Amino acid sequence: MIKTSTVTKTVNTSEGSLQILQPISFEVKSGESVAIIGASGSGKSTLLGLLAGLDEVTSGEIYLDNEALHTMDEEQRAVLRGSKVGFIFQSFMLVQSLTALENVMLPAEISNLDNPKGLAMEILEQVGLAHRAHHFPNQLSGGEQQRVAIARAFITSPKILFADEPTGNLDAKNSDKIEELLFELNRNTGTTLVLVTHDNDLAAHCDRQLTMHAGELKETTPSSTSPSEVS
Amino acid sequence: MPMTFNLAWRLFKHEARRGELTIILLAIVLSVGAVLSLSLFSERLQGALKSRSAAFIAADAQLRSDKPVDETWLLKAKDEGLDTAKQVSTRSMVFKGDAMSLVDLRAVNSNYPLKGMVSVADAPFGAKKDIDALPASGEAWVQSRLFQTLKLNVGDAIDIGEVKLTVTRVLSDIPDAGFSVFNTDPIVLMNLDDLEATEITGPGSRARYVSYFAGDTSNVKSYISWLLPQLNDDLHSWRTVEDDESAIGRSVASAERYFLLASLLAIVLAAVSIAVAAQRYAQRHFDPVAIMKTLGATKQTIRKVYLIQILFITLLGIAIGLIIGFIGQHIVVSLVADRVDVSLNVWHWRPVVIAIATGATCAILFSLYPLLQLFSVPPLRVLRKDLDASLRSRSIQFVASGGAIFALMWMYSQDLKISVILFASGAALVAGLLVATYFLIALGRKLGSGKMGPWQLAWARIKRRAMDNSVQLISFSITIMLLLVVLVMRNDMVSQWRAQLPEGTPNYFLTNITPDNQARLDRHFADQNVDINEFFPVTRGRFVSVNGEGVNTEVSKEEESSNEGRRGLGREANLTWGNTLQKENEVIEGIWHGNVDTTYSEGWFPVSVEEGVAERLDIKMGDLLSFNVGSEIVETKVTSVRKVNWQTMQPNFFFVIHPDAMEAFSPTYITSFYLPTERKEELTKLLKPFASVTMFDVDARINQLRDIVEQVSVAVEFILVLVLMAGSLVLIAQVQASMDERRQEIAILRTLGAKGSLIRKSVVFEFLIIGTVAGFMAALANELSLYMLQTSVFQMTASLHLEYWLVAPAVGALVVGILGAIGCWRLLTLNTGEMLRKMV
Repeated sequence: MIKTSTVTKTVNTSEGSLQILQPISFEVKSGESVAIIGASGSGKSTLLGLLAGLDEVTSGEIYLDNEALHTMDEEQRAVLRGSKVGFIFQSFMLVQSLTALENVMLPAEISNLDNPKGLAMEILEQVGLAHRAHHFPNQLSGGEQQRVAIARAFITSPKILFADEPTGNLDAKNSDKIEELLFELNRNTGTTLVLVTHDNDLAAHCDRQLTMHAGELKETTPSSTSPSEVS
Repeated sequence: MPMTFNLAWRLFKHEARRGELTIILLAIVLSVGAVLSLSLFSERLQGALKSRSAAFIAADAQLRSDKPVDETWLLKAKDEGLDTAKQVSTRSMVFKGDAMSLVDLRAVNSNYPLKGMVSVADAPFGAKKDIDALPASGEAWVQSRLFQTLKLNVGDAIDIGEVKLTVTRVLSDIPDAGFSVFNTDPIVLMNLDDLEATEITGPGSRARYVSYFAGDTSNVKSYISWLLPQLNDDLHSWRTVEDDESAIGRSVASAERYFLLASLLAIVLAAVSIAVAAQRYAQRHFDPVAIMKTLGATKQTIRKVYLIQILFITLLGIAIGLIIGFIGQHIVVSLVADRVDVSLNVWHWRPVVIAIATGATCAILFSLYPLLQLFSVPPLRVLRKDLDASLRSRSIQFVASGGAIFALMWMYSQDLKISVILFASGAALVAGLLVATYFLIALGRKLGSGKMGPWQLAWARIKRRAMDNSVQLISFSITIMLLLVVLVMRNDMVSQWRAQLPEGTPNYFLTNITPDNQARLDRHFADQNVDINEFFPVTRGRFVSVNGEGVNTEVSKEEESSNEGRRGLGREANLTWGNTLQKENEVIEGIWHGNVDTTYSEGWFPVSVEEGVAERLDIKMGDLLSFNVGSEIVETKVTSVRKVNWQTMQPNFFFVIHPDAMEAFSPTYITSFYLPTERKEELTKLLKPFASVTMFDVDARINQLRDIVEQVSVAVEFILVLVLMAGSLVLIAQVQASMDERRQEIAILRTLGAKGSLIRKSVVFEFLIIGTVAGFMAALANELSLYMLQTSVFQMTASLHLEYWLVAPAVGALVVGILGAIGCWRLLTLNTGEMLRKMV
């Protein structure tokens, strides 16, 4: 589902260029769940941005569902994201001026799906928030907001779901609920899940764990993927 | 319904309801409302003032001709939808028995006057009242002075040429009587139908045929363009309200330019507030755009969604702005209704179109750069909050906003000069401010270091938010500068108008005072406690030759004589003599003869000639002029040329001769005095002992003039208040917008335990610094624009306004500081947790 080959990322700073990612190559199979763990500043969010097509690689190749992400421009990547990718963020990233329902409808509308409202209500039902469909984000608790974000992520039935610290802003109780919901939906829909976290418990729920350290990626759990595929 | 439209509508609906669009909406509402109310009010006012000044020519336009005009011209005017009227005027002798007098005869048809009113009095020199009637055939209405000279009573008959007319009323005034104080004969108003029978307008007569036109401005204009090519310069002269060169005409014209200026400045103010609001609007939408892009929205989708949203905001803003502007001008008109003659009955479309165009142009062009920035927000911002818009070049912003302001100014004023002046000084101000901001930042680096007190925090913030602050500084300075320009212009203009007619301006003139009467009159007036002005000796003389070459000496009121030979004065000149240069007279060539200590007994005597008459009669320095006084010829030589301010209500003379020349002649004197209106009844008592003295009453004229100047001043003051209000609102909007950006910082400082007083002081100090600099820069730019405006648009004498160099920074600091304090106080009342949550 995801295949990267010697992906690097270098940024220019006032003190010269800085390589954030060392050459990274790995593969994620369809339906697999992978956790990328690492300390702050290790480059895990940068990697997530590249994998999701939010940012451009400096060198190397990324294939998402067999499409060459690294050759696409921003517009093509946007279309790809709309049709195949779902997102969950630490800070929920809901549009504050849209209701829960409208936030969930948003990706469906952008991708021109039929009956976005019906789909959104259905999925809000699944995450247990149908009764709060017409509330605005600031009227919802953190846990509720993240459930809305999860509903939004799944509405387009994405092939791949990227989650950036999905429980980072939540208390323990809410974290557990979200975790449960996320993996349940993941299992039910067969979505490939790539999540970035520094929560080892959350990472342990995933099929594989990859660790980022100073821009380098290492496989830390045994899996069906051979170690040589990660470098 | 397409998805983008739905989404845009949804965002618009919710954001409007949640108050997130308030600032940008308010900016558009303010701009549309201010421009509409200002220009609607000024259009109404101009209409009112124009119709008042139209009264002075009894029409919107006049055609004067030395021969009867082609009747088809009048028919054409009627076809064009214009009203017309006719008058034939001539100087003629009027007899009552053996007594006779030269009069200014006005024969009018029944439509006269098209504008203004004829006024009459119950008794000679009595109070005047307007009347909507004219002398019937066989009647004559005559002015008070003729009652005096011919010892007339109402009901007496007078002879004019071959016709006998019955005097049925005392005529006070007719609208286009003219302003000349001297050489004016009493007016006799009669019916045009009786004129032919008088047989005084036959061939060779000096009759002047006046045709009057009134109607819609566009109709008058189209008629003028049809008529003008057919006119013969030697025979015809054309006059409209616009080319009124009198004090009133000029006051009204400069008031019009002032309204235009004020409205232009309101447009700029509106533009500034929209620019500030649009910037903030875009910044608030960085996150939603990044989210939508992450969720797969293409740039085109984002563009559509936000352009549609801006369109919604603009439409709503314009709609509310129009309503508020309309209500605003209604309130202003009803407030000034008792002081200024403004009517609400006429509807003007132009201000509405201008207001809509202003709102739309500002909203679109000023949002352009912020929107382009918004579109360029990278989707990666969802992961990295520090990522801003990738569009950095400010040139688009300067070109778009500069272009928008200039286009609006030009469109509105249709006056390239005013537009260029204001725009250039604005651009100079912006450039100066950029330099000043960098200087401030450099200064801030030094002052902002050290222990964290409120001053250090303030400087540190100024330094850190350099670009934001420079935008804010520019907008504050422009706002303050515009307010200063409007304020100072108004002060200068109104004081110049009022100076034309100060309190105590003589309102009565006396002529034909014999030397015997002079001393008696002086004493008598002193006894009655009336101040009388200087006595000027006057004698009538004919101007007969220049350097020996004879001039046309025919006695005629016509000044534009078309006879053969060198042009003469066309009438007897009032000659005076003296060694003292009169007030408001300035020697522009040669030396004033009073300053040369020589006695003249034979040959020629020095004469000083008025500039205008010298030009008209082609008289040069050193020319020998001969005058026929009585039976003597007085030879003079031009030794000086004077510039005379004819607007002063004092006797002024074309020719002032050295006193030595006139020793042999016995003069009469003229003088003037001021009598307050409430003492008017004393006039008869004052003049009773001096039957031979002739009095000219210009009290009504002066009051009329003063009345108009007052009305114009009041109107200008209201416009000033309107602009000040608009400016204050803009300042408040600017401070509010920047408060929003400070919310985050204040939340952090609060969380870290900073005291409210520290935060409040630091914010107030920051605004004090910005306000002071903005005020100072505004004072400098104000001086520059005023200089250019006064010298090249308002034809006024430019002057420095040093007091504003101190006032502007002080007021800037005070107002901006107070607004900052209020805004900050509001933020500090918010719960810190709530603020932090809003930051996320």
